[in-house]
Amino acid sequence: MKKRRLARTVTRRDFIKGAAMGTLGMALYGKSGAAFGGPKNPAASFAAENPQSVAVLIRNEKAIGAGDKVDAAVVQDMVDTALKAFSGEADAAKAWAKYVRAEDTVGVKFTRCDWMRVHTDQAVIDAVVRRVGEAGVGKDRIHAQDGGLPLAKCTALISLPSVKVHTLTGIAVAMKNYINFSPAPSKYHAPATSLGEIFLLPDVKGKTRLIVVDFLRPYFGPGPQINPLHRWNYHGILVSNDPVAVDAVCLSICQAKRNLFKGEPWPITPPPDFIAAADTTYKLGTSDPAKIKLVKLGWDKDILI
Amino acid sequence: MLAVPGSLFSSPRGGGGYRRGEVQATVPPVKLTDPEACAKGILGNRLKTSLILNPGSAVFVFLVGVSAVAQTMAHTQKQVKSEILASFAVRQALPSEADGWKTGREDQIFTRDDIFDYVDGGGEIYLAYDFQFVFVREYVREGAPSIVVEVYQMSSSEDAFGVFTHDPDGEDVDLGQGALYGAGLLRFWKDKVFVRLMADRETPEAKALIMGLAAGIVGAIPGEGPEPNLIGCLPKEGLKPKSLRYFHTLISLNAHFYLANVNILNLSPETRVAMARFERAGSQARVLLVEYPTVERAIDAERRFTEMFLIERFMADRKLPPKKLEDGKYAGLSRDGRHLVIVVEADKKPDLEWLMRSISRNLEGAKP
Repeated sequence: MKKRRLARTVTRRDFIKGAAMGTLGMALYGKSGAAFGGPKNPAASFAAENPQSVAVLIRNEKAIGAGDKVDAAVVQDMVDTALKAFSGEADAAKAWAKYVRAEDTVGVKFTRCDWMRVHTDQAVIDAVVRRVGEAGVGKDRIHAQDGGLPLAKCTALISLPSVKVHTLTGIAVAMKNYINFSPAPSKYHAPATSLGEIFLLPDVKGKTRLIVVDFLRPYFGPGPQINPLHRWNYHGILVSNDPVAVDAVCLSICQAKRNLFKGEPWPITPPPDFIAAADTTYKLGTSDPAKIKLVKLGWDKDILI
Repeated sequence: MLAVPGSLFSSPRGGGGYRRGEVQATVPPVKLTDPEACAKGILGNRLKTSLILNPGSAVFVFLVGVSAVAQTMAHTQKQVKSEILASFAVRQALPSEADGWKTGREDQIFTRDDIFDYVDGGGEIYLAYDFQFVFVREYVREGAPSIVVEVYQMSSSEDAFGVFTHDPDGEDVDLGQGALYGAGLLRFWKDKVFVRLMADRETPEAKALIMGLAAGIVGAIPGEGPEPNLIGCLPKEGLKPKSLRYFHTLISLNAHFYLANVNILNLSPETRVAMARFERAGSQARVLLVEYPTVERAIDAERRFTEMFLIERFMADRKLPPKKLEDGKYAGLSRDGRHLVIVVEADKKPDLEWLMRSISRNLEGAKP
């Protein structure tokens, strides 16, 4: 029997994926316009077309105390410090002013999931909402919610995801945080890789100014329901404006933690292929570790990256 | 009358296929109108004429009808839940107060129709089995962690076992037909029931209460149910017990082991899958034993796996030798009637062949 010859070494998964999907996604989306913006240039192209994405990871041992209680003051300081480092400003107010204007209507999109219990900690939400208010945005124009954000009204979005390995998507961080902006979220479950298209919805595209990840107490287990053995205190906050880079960094850390827990490789499954697709198909950012500049601040014990 | 509560723990042994909706099947049919009233002509010809002459009225009547159906269904659903709550033996076995904890929110029931109201984004894992309903009770005590009790009613003990294998992490506890505890979470299965009891955070008192409540639940379930027959066809030698999984559909396979981004094994609610990892003398392999409802479907899956995973030409009568893949590990398959045996990630070819032979022998021995 004559064997098929493949042009490069591929895995079984690669081959099957190629056969099944072809380049449909590429044909549909190609090089889209800007999916991200900033106050000075809302239509500025970002991420995949930039040579490098930046993410700032800050950790503080004191962020979580006895009984897993989160220290709100420490979290506020971590958020401010990370944002200063990310923006290059020495002053927190000036740093926030780079991403939020007084005339903005800001949607602060966090994760709330009562049954799963791995939601964005209130201290992180409060820290961001406080600074957005101090940037001059009126209370009536700050919408901090999980579901039901008035997206059409919002001129800016700040994403505040938690971090969890997820039975249906592989991992749930910045990309999945927007899943409920879609009327049909379940269509983005694996093997679908099209989660990135949500960032291109008319009411979403170009509005994401910042991503502040609650990396305080992430979840690395199989889910869907929490097993407390699979939750760990990482004491982290991750700031970026590239959701793809954010997901790639979080994926790497969660995978390392899983391997450590089992003492052998414990691959995250289903593999979150939507991350690579968000880079190559939807041009939302970069998933290539070589193109992600990860700035690490603070406590580095068991940092796993 | 709802049939479920009365038959909760009287499992018809064996079987184990994925049969949907015993609860729904017992719901009385929805009546849009009272047939007697219609027969007497109360709605009468006037309405009929009006609908023909006025399309707006027709739309209105349609919308009223849809609304009536929705209301009737909601009412029926509520009634179903009330009846489950009223006669659920486990609920009656649970105390309303214990060690200072009292029941918190009202007891709740979620069925296949509204499981997502309880586990939004995670209901799929239960729906992948023949899940019937979940009973939820909360215990609260000031200054202490709250404790949530979830009792999942499945249609078979095989599926209760299957859900239990979804997450094997925790310390073994001698309870029910299998139990695991860790950091404030206790899970166990017995007969057709899978149970989770979880404290917000672990304390010695909370753990003691969890164990006490669990013992009460176990006592309320009189019988035991069989594990899936398929499990018995896997070799015992070398089997890594914590790696054992039992499921039906692709969503479960993907949650444990990612074979491909398409359903190459033709998995469906009618298929039954036992999956496990084996280790002998440091050499590892993963086995998937799949039972199909028909020989034809097994052959189709054999063809798909051969062509799409092994990338070989499929010939129905040809036995394919194990194949070394790009990662240096071996993969192979064999079919025995409705059963497909797949070995992947095998470090050594002889181990793969030994697994194939052992399973084939066990399948032969399991035949009536």
